[in-house]
Amino acid sequence: MFWNANSDTALQSRFWGSLAFRLTAGYAFAGLLLFFCASASLYLVLVTELDRSTELFLGDKLNVLRTMLRERPDDWDALREEIELESAARRYQQFYIRLLDDHGTPLLTTPGMEESLDLAEVARHTQGQGGPVLLKGRQGRSLRVTAASIPVGSSLTKNDTILVAVDISQQEQLLARYRQWFWTILVATFAIFPMVGYQVARHGIRPLEEMATTMQHIRSTNLRERILPEGYPSELASLAGPFNEMLDRLEESFERISRFSADIAHDLRTPVNNIRGEAEVALARARTVEEYRDVLDSCLEEAVRLSDLISDLLFLARAESPLTHLRRESVDVGQLLCGVRDYYEVSAAEGGVTFSTAVPAQPVIAELDRTLLQRAVGNLVSNALTHTPAGGSIVLETCAEPSAIRIAVSDTGVGIPPEALPKVFDRFFRVDTSRSQASGGTGLGLAIVQSIMLLHGGKVEIASQPGRGTKVTLRMPTAA
Amino acid sequence: MKILVIEDEIKTAKFLQKGLVEAGFVVDVALDGLDGLHMAQELEIDLLVLDIMLPGMDGWQILTRLRKAGRNSPVLVLTARDAVAERVQGFEFGADDYLVKPFAFSELLARVRSLLRRGSPRTQEIIRLADLEIDVLRQRATRAGRRLDLTAKEFLLLSLLARRTGEVLSRTLIAESVWDMNFDSDTNVVDVNVRRLRSKVDEPFPFKLIHTVRGAGYVLECEQ
Repeated sequence: MFWNANSDTALQSRFWGSLAFRLTAGYAFAGLLLFFCASASLYLVLVTELDRSTELFLGDKLNVLRTMLRERPDDWDALREEIELESAARRYQQFYIRLLDDHGTPLLTTPGMEESLDLAEVARHTQGQGGPVLLKGRQGRSLRVTAASIPVGSSLTKNDTILVAVDISQQEQLLARYRQWFWTILVATFAIFPMVGYQVARHGIRPLEEMATTMQHIRSTNLRERILPEGYPSELASLAGPFNEMLDRLEESFERISRFSADIAHDLRTPVNNIRGEAEVALARARTVEEYRDVLDSCLEEAVRLSDLISDLLFLARAESPLTHLRRESVDVGQLLCGVRDYYEVSAAEGGVTFSTAVPAQPVIAELDRTLLQRAVGNLVSNALTHTPAGGSIVLETCAEPSAIRIAVSDTGVGIPPEALPKVFDRFFRVDTSRSQASGGTGLGLAIVQSIMLLHGGKVEIASQPGRGTKVTLRMPTAA
Repeated sequence: MKILVIEDEIKTAKFLQKGLVEAGFVVDVALDGLDGLHMAQELEIDLLVLDIMLPGMDGWQILTRLRKAGRNSPVLVLTARDAVAERVQGFEFGADDYLVKPFAFSELLARVRSLLRRGSPRTQEIIRLADLEIDVLRQRATRAGRRLDLTAKEFLLLSLLARRTGEVLSRTLIAESVWDMNFDSDTNVVDVNVRRLRSKVDEPFPFKLIHTVRGAGYVLECEQ
């Protein structure tokens, strides 16, 4: 049957995958085990108790005979009554007694004993045995037999031997019936327990299924729906809480994405509109070569702006992908800042802005993605240059903290109004919307800085006072 | 020099052909993968410009087939995706260079030229153009016999333009080569620096050597 081994395991795993099945199996197994243990131990107690009562009965008989032989050794009538009559009258738990003298000659025997028992075998088995022994009788009956040597009268020399056998076949039948009932009930419970267990499990799982149905109905179009924790058991109500929070976050992300898409459309529309309009107007009638050249130049500029926007958007999209890996290398941050200063130095000088770096003597070295860090700092410096009027200053500084490095870009520029401050890292957010397109920025610069910091496991903070200046601080952990 | 362009987008293929022909190359165009592979195998070409997303057979397959057939002419790959993994894959397949759409044509031209030049690197100690003379080793530049007072970065910028005389260099490429800034944003910084350089190299002299190519970049050439 090895060819359907796969389907077997598949079936098995499907069953194990079901919570109801697992609970049912658990209930049934526990129930059966409990029943089995309880019944088995009761059975053992019963067996022990029956054995004990038989032993007590045998001991009692021996005691009576011992007393009779010691006190009245010559009262044969009493002995005969005890040995021959009393036991022969019994129907239930019959017993047999045989009295032998010290030469082994039988003196008295309960009638029927020789028919029930092979006396030679009895003698052999009881020889030297302290307690009673179990023997099979001639008619297939089980008997317990004990033998004792008893002094006769007051003399210490004469000893008679007494054999007492008791029929325990009724006890054995009792035990057999017990065992039979035990197995019957076990088989019945084997069928009943899983059924009951399954019902209990289904009942327990039902609220979960109801919750799942509610969850199934949630689509991107109705993210506002929530699971009401009322009416559920407390364990499931606690599941509803985090699930609703997850929906909150999803709803927020969805809203952000759709707002973002609208922003993208808006920002793409402007350059496309310019290209289209300019080309259309230019083609409406014949123009000089110079005019055509101007239109083409302008179109090219708009196209370049579109390309820049697209590459910024792509950068942000990639930075958010969990598959993005940083190309970390050992970077001397001070050196990197000086490189950025070299790059912007001439621009700053032209704008009449003092541009300096404050780098500690001890080199600040960390494992970072050089290109991305360059880009983050470059974006910040570029912003600072745009917003700092002539006569102002920009300072780039860095320092090493115990387990992080800090880079700060501060300027003495126009600053950002407090109400705009929380939004500056949003995509396409511009403090001054009127000058947005003309200044050439995509409105993505700070969003890119933030995503670069997030990629490095760091964060970015901004502090600003309108009219006094702005300070942006980047903080990144040194260990990757 | 013969270049084969395999590109299915007709407008792209057309402007590539036009631009490359005007730059002095002989250009053949294939509009789908199968034609492209056939032409690349049949024709003697010096360079292949290869789009990745093609009908019939994609660029990676063409590249693999060509390299297996022992064709070693340089390949410049064009793609609309710029995931780093794809770039690495491109080099593994045997691409020589990689350009992400949208790209500046000047950038493409620069890369085509540098790929074709790769076999014979030009190492000059002294570069001359009209009355401009640049001594790369001693970091000195003179024009009409007069020493130009340049900063280190200005000298680097000038020698970059001079080493690739006649080629339009994009702002991104300039920022990368001179300042080691490997991101393409805020390239007007390059404009400011070029303006500075001009004020020293061109302004005092009767004719100009540094020219702006709108939307593309800068070129150093003698237009006379």
